[in-house]
Amino acid sequence: MSGQRVDAKVVMLGKEYVGKTSLVERYVHNRFLVGPYQNTIGAAFVAKVMSVAGRTVTLGIWDTAGSERYEAMSRIYYRGAKAAIVCYDLTDSSSFQQENLWVHELQNFEEHCRIYLCGTKSDLLDEDRRKRGVDFHDVQDYADEIKAELFETSSKTGQNVDELFQKVAEDYVHFTAFQVMTEEKGVDLSQKSGTYFYSCCHH
Amino acid sequence: MSLKSERRGIHVDQSELLCKKGCGYYGNPAWQGFCSKCWREEYHKARQKQIQEDWELAERLQREEEEAYASSQGTQGAQSLTFSKFEEKKTNEKSRKVTTVKKFFGASSRAGTKKEVQEAKAPSPSIHRQASIETDRVSKEFIEFLKTYHKPGQEIYKQCKIFLDAMHHKRELSIEEQSECAQDFYQNVAEKLQIRWKVSPEKLEKAMDQIEKYIMTRLYKYVFCPETTEDEKKDLAVQKRIRALHWVTPQMLCVPVNEDIPEVSDMVVKAITDIIEMDSKRVPHDKLACITKCSNHIFNAIKITRNEPASADDFLQTLIYIVLKGNPPRLQSNIQYITRFCNPSRLMSGEDGYYFTNLCCAVAFIEKLDAQSLNLSNEDFDRYMSGQTSPKKQEPESWSPDVCIGVKQMYKNLDLLSQLNERQEIIVSEAKKLERDLIDWTDGIAKEVQDIVEKYPLEIKPKNPPLAAIDSENVENDRLPPPLQPQVYAG
Ligand SMILES: Nc1nc2c(ncn2[C@@H]2O[C@H](COP(=O)(O)OP(=O)(O)O)[C@@H](O)[C@H]2O)c(=O)[nH]1
Ligand SMILES: [Mg+2]
Repeated sequence: MSGQRVDAKVVMLGKEYVGKTSLVERYVHNRFLVGPYQNTIGAAFVAKVMSVAGRTVTLGIWDTAGSERYEAMSRIYYRGAKAAIVCYDLTDSSSFQQENLWVHELQNFEEHCRIYLCGTKSDLLDEDRRKRGVDFHDVQDYADEIKAELFETSSKTGQNVDELFQKVAEDYVHFTAFQVMTEEKGVDLSQKSGTYFYSCCHH
Repeated sequence: MSLKSERRGIHVDQSELLCKKGCGYYGNPAWQGFCSKCWREEYHKARQKQIQEDWELAERLQREEEEAYASSQGTQGAQSLTFSKFEEKKTNEKSRKVTTVKKFFGASSRAGTKKEVQEAKAPSPSIHRQASIETDRVSKEFIEFLKTYHKPGQEIYKQCKIFLDAMHHKRELSIEEQSECAQDFYQNVAEKLQIRWKVSPEKLEKAMDQIEKYIMTRLYKYVFCPETTEDEKKDLAVQKRIRALHWVTPQMLCVPVNEDIPEVSDMVVKAITDIIEMDSKRVPHDKLACITKCSNHIFNAIKITRNEPASADDFLQTLIYIVLKGNPPRLQSNIQYITRFCNPSRLMSGEDGYYFTNLCCAVAFIEKLDAQSLNLSNEDFDRYMSGQTSPKKQEPESWSPDVCIGVKQMYKNLDLLSQLNERQEIIVSEAKKLERDLIDWTDGIAKEVQDIVEKYPLEIKPKNPPLAAIDSENVENDRLPPPLQPQVYAG
């Protein structure tokens, strides 16, 4: 069988062109590619081994097709995800508008999926502050409201990218440790999920 | 359809897939070409007998295994008798205490007994025998594998047996409930291995694969596309849908592969072969492996075409195209079966899971596909769907995704010829126009000359001095226009 063992599924969501692929590329291969890429490997799925407090965790990072024609399919993508990185373009307010939709769906259908809001292309703001299309404090309020983490990253300079994924891994470790504890005490009765399409994805 | 299968060397002849009774549902080689319903009707009794036989076979196998073990111990004992009676007795006593399960982990060889078992089973149909040979082989491998796990290995085997027994009595339950049982079983075994036996994650993974292989080889015929579900109906619907979409071109889907490059078209054919092959596998993770192989070929095809890495969008687009082109048999049944009975740790987060999810997306996309998703007008879409027209004329290479290379070439040539014809017609009409223009032009010139001649008629002076007198009479010299100077023209 191909591939290595993976602990947690992390799914990248967001409109086309917001920079999902670049973010994964920067994090995994530590590079930013412009124009026609050269001899690189396709990055639709990557398994990344990380260490959190002396423990190794392998994140399976799922890049997703963001173009509009596949919008209806996104629900199939994020099923069973432990974390969702919902990306928007800091210079494009319309990309943030869509955020609400993803978040809403995630909250409704994936209660065990933690949400990370990620404003991309922050380097463009460093060049020219007036380019900012999404106010930081508005998003922070929104993030608090939906209990999500907020990061502003640049795949071009690498700013905040490692921090984002490190946080995802840390939360996963803490969250699962907590879950095991509660399960052993027999508190969590809602664990047994219904049988929907991915009936095997209760966990 | 048959042309295509010949080219790829795969048997997907439509008539072979359908139920022999002609009810319109899919037949299955495992059901001797009947669909599940007709098979039930026709072979209900035979099947009952089969189940009985299976059970007896399993028991006989067990018995013979025990005997073989005992006899091997016996001969060993007899040999050692001359050396040390005491030692021999001790080992014999020890082995008697061993549980029935343990015999599988002893040094005994099953080769001799197996042949007899096969012969004893002679009356069963050949297909069934083949399947049971396969099942036996898998069991043997499983046992061999478990030997390397020592004590936990025995425990695993016992658990699997118990589970299979339990499943045997749960056949009347809904498929979802059976799936739950299997999922619970996977989880329990994994937990036990991890917590009680402290098996390392890598070893756990391997063991889980083997367990899945062992139990699903046995359960396959009862839980794949069961008649209690709509799976078969859905298979048919998807198959029909894909056939109705035969006119969809790679350009409409924005597929980033160029099949004119031989290497790329080779990859595309391989990807299609892989995805069709999925149906022939019995174990969920073997089916997954087919999807993964297909996906790798797709990534290669994109890489060769574009010289850059494939994004998630590129990949999904191409996968959709591959599914449309290949029309893999029993797509829904396979997806459902994998979803229900695959070990969840594979399906949830790993690479195989990623490709599988994309396949689910591709099928969902195909089911929902409309004019908008292909950037077509509603009218065009409806016309193509109804078969009134097809976009093939304009795009000969995408005209016939199913046709063999020769026919494709012929269509290409036909198209070239018709293009040539068109161009020739243009040339002829242009030539005619030129001819007309030339005639008009000569006419025009003639007319102009005529006009000029009329306007300035040539007046011949009545009296012309004789040539000889020109030089002698210079009286009227100053009234004459200047004398014409001789001019030299080339040639
Ligand atoms: N300046 C800048 N450009 C970026 C950044 N991230 C992505 N881009 C550009 O945005 C475009 C879309 O990026 P991509 O990763 O393909 O987006 P996706 O469709 O969400 O996967 C590309 O042209 C990238 O070069 C960033 O952090 N800074
Ligand atoms: Mg992308």
